[in-house]
Amino acid sequence: MKWTVHDVSMYEKEKQYIDTAVVPLLPLTFSERAKVAAADGEFMQLVTNEIERQLKGRLFLLPSFTYFASETLDECVERLNRWTSELNEAGMRHVFYVTTDQKWKETKQGLLGALFFLPSIPFEHMDDSYKQQIVQEQTTKLLNAFISQWV
Amino acid sequence: MSENKHRVSRRQFLNYTLTGVGGFMAAGILMPMVRFALDPILKEEAAADMVAVAQVKDITTEPQRFDFKVKVKDAWYESEEPKSAWVYKDDKGEIVALSPICKHLGCTVNWNADKEHPNQFFCPCHYGRYTKDGTNVPGTPPMHPLDRYEYKVKDGKLYLGKAKPRGGA
Ligand code: FES
Repeated sequence: MKWTVHDVSMYEKEKQYIDTAVVPLLPLTFSERAKVAAADGEFMQLVTNEIERQLKGRLFLLPSFTYFASETLDECVERLNRWTSELNEAGMRHVFYVTTDQKWKETKQGLLGALFFLPSIPFEHMDDSYKQQIVQEQTTKLLNAFISQWV
Repeated sequence: MSENKHRVSRRQFLNYTLTGVGGFMAAGILMPMVRFALDPILKEEAAADMVAVAQVKDITTEPQRFDFKVKVKDAWYESEEPKSAWVYKDDKGEIVALSPICKHLGCTVNWNADKEHPNQFFCPCHYGRYTKDGTNVPGTPPMHPLDRYEYKVKDGKLYLGKAKPRGGA
């Protein structure tokens, strides 16, 4: 499910079945790393959209949790945990974070939800079919990781 | 000198812009007419809205997943929507193409993914199950069988159209 009127009304009807929120963690920057950050963001969107398509009956893909790369990790963790508690209170038993940003690695312990990493991929100079193949591979991996969290 | 060369007189400027705008307007008028003229052809293509998905020789009695794309148009823009089908030949040798969309809440089902229930379609979301012909297994969440794609075979290729619902089990 996505954050659209159509899906939200379905969510309201079928709440009991939708117990998982997926939150992409998306860093922003306008430094020289801007391009890399944007490419990572696009890649993450492709993968999370595809996962949503395949598991839409149980998970809700939220708009990204966005932060400036200059924000401190502690600030981010605190805000993200607040999101997570709110989601838990709304009935989401599982909250899955997806990111390419390695800085979250340092705090794995302090987070209330489960963290999943995607590799950062230099997409810019790749041809489309190779790109597609990578998106597929990463999607399958993440999909299976999600499913195994459920059981 | 060089400055003079580049100077555009008022009249020239008006001329440029008016031709520009006029051109646009002409295009605006022409476009619908061209569309009218072409429309019958476009329509026919829409009717034959089937997409080549697989080579018939690759289809076995074991369901395989084939991915393809269809063009969709919503209120704002046209895009390509990814689709999949589970395709196999049944005992009579007839092709069956099932939609993988679970009839419960729309997750994607997989063939033979649940070890405890082999040779069934399995939905990872709330453990819905379907038999090979797409019939929902009673006692699992889905209330209807999987949709079946309309299909045709041409030049050794399998074309799929719309996925159509079947009566409940
Ligand atoms: S979406 Fe398939 S069982 Fe619920």
